[in-house]
Amino acid sequence: MDEVTEKEQQHIFESWLSQHKGLLFKIVRSYAFTAMDQDDLFQEIIIQVWRSVPSFRQESAVTTWLYRIALNTSIKWTTKERKHSRTENREHLQYLLLQESKTPADERLDWLYEQINQLDEIDRSLTLLLLDGFSYKEMAGILGITESNVGVKITRIKKVLITKIQKG
Amino acid sequence: MITMEFEELQKIWDSQNNTPLYAIDENALHNRILTKKRQTGHITNVSEWLSIVVNLCSGGFVLAINYSSTRPGLAMYLLAAWMVLVSLYALTSRIRRITREHQFNRTLKEDLNHAIAMATYQVRLSRLMRWNMVPIAALCLIGMWEAEKNGWIFLLTLGFFAMAYYASGWEHSIYQGKKKELEVLKAKLEAQQ
Repeated sequence: MDEVTEKEQQHIFESWLSQHKGLLFKIVRSYAFTAMDQDDLFQEIIIQVWRSVPSFRQESAVTTWLYRIALNTSIKWTTKERKHSRTENREHLQYLLLQESKTPADERLDWLYEQINQLDEIDRSLTLLLLDGFSYKEMAGILGITESNVGVKITRIKKVLITKIQKG
Repeated sequence: MITMEFEELQKIWDSQNNTPLYAIDENALHNRILTKKRQTGHITNVSEWLSIVVNLCSGGFVLAINYSSTRPGLAMYLLAAWMVLVSLYALTSRIRRITREHQFNRTLKEDLNHAIAMATYQVRLSRLMRWNMVPIAALCLIGMWEAEKNGWIFLLTLGFFAMAYYASGWEHSIYQGKKKELEVLKAKLEAQQ
């Protein structure tokens, strides 16, 4: 994408958000567990998405681009959260306060998120990408690991999840 | 076996695609916007009064010193007049801004628009005040040259203006950042609705 004006940046950002916010929420729910953390992570992702608009080159699909940004932000955020206590003032990052939707909870979906949450950061990312139908090649590109490594990890993740289904 | 059961997981996962997981907490968001609006309003108010008072006092001071001087210079008279004019401009801008404030009602969206309007005004004001330093510095240096001041004093004054210009650029970028934050929030809010 050539130089974008601020207006264009805003327009692209708005359209990305309106079409793909569900994708971002899924990632937020997989990486942050309390309402406050989810809110915090969502702000971080949104800021990174906004900043990324001028560097989007249309070489990949928007969903791939958003996944890459959101996952990288979530992984960094998780590491940062471990290092810093929650007492620091994060006022400057607060853009939008979220509350859980009033739609009735799906127990099976809650269970699935619970299992995803127990995986390490990379496995979590791979599971999300797998469930959202990305190819091994795309997954490798997004996470910066080899395709064969993706294959090995996916097989292991599937086994873990299936074992849990059978136990549950 | 694995594939079949994983497909089941896939179905569970896909079921959420059309269900909103989160909604905006409008009360909390409105409070956040009001806080941001108050902060922006406070900064704008202080900046305006500073621009008015500093330019008026400095203009008056320069005028008085030049008038009582044995060798009054034209550049210093021009500098005093310029500063008084800038002060008057800042005052009229402030009056116009306050008059326009009544067009916003107290809904969440309008409060956000109001905060953005104030932030935009603040960005414009800080940009104008930054550029205002150029004629002031030029007239001040010409006045010193007319008064045949020492070269070191001339250089020190030049250095002072250069630093002030740099610092005001930094200040301007802070206001731009605050404005952008509000615009992102607005875009996100519109996208969410």
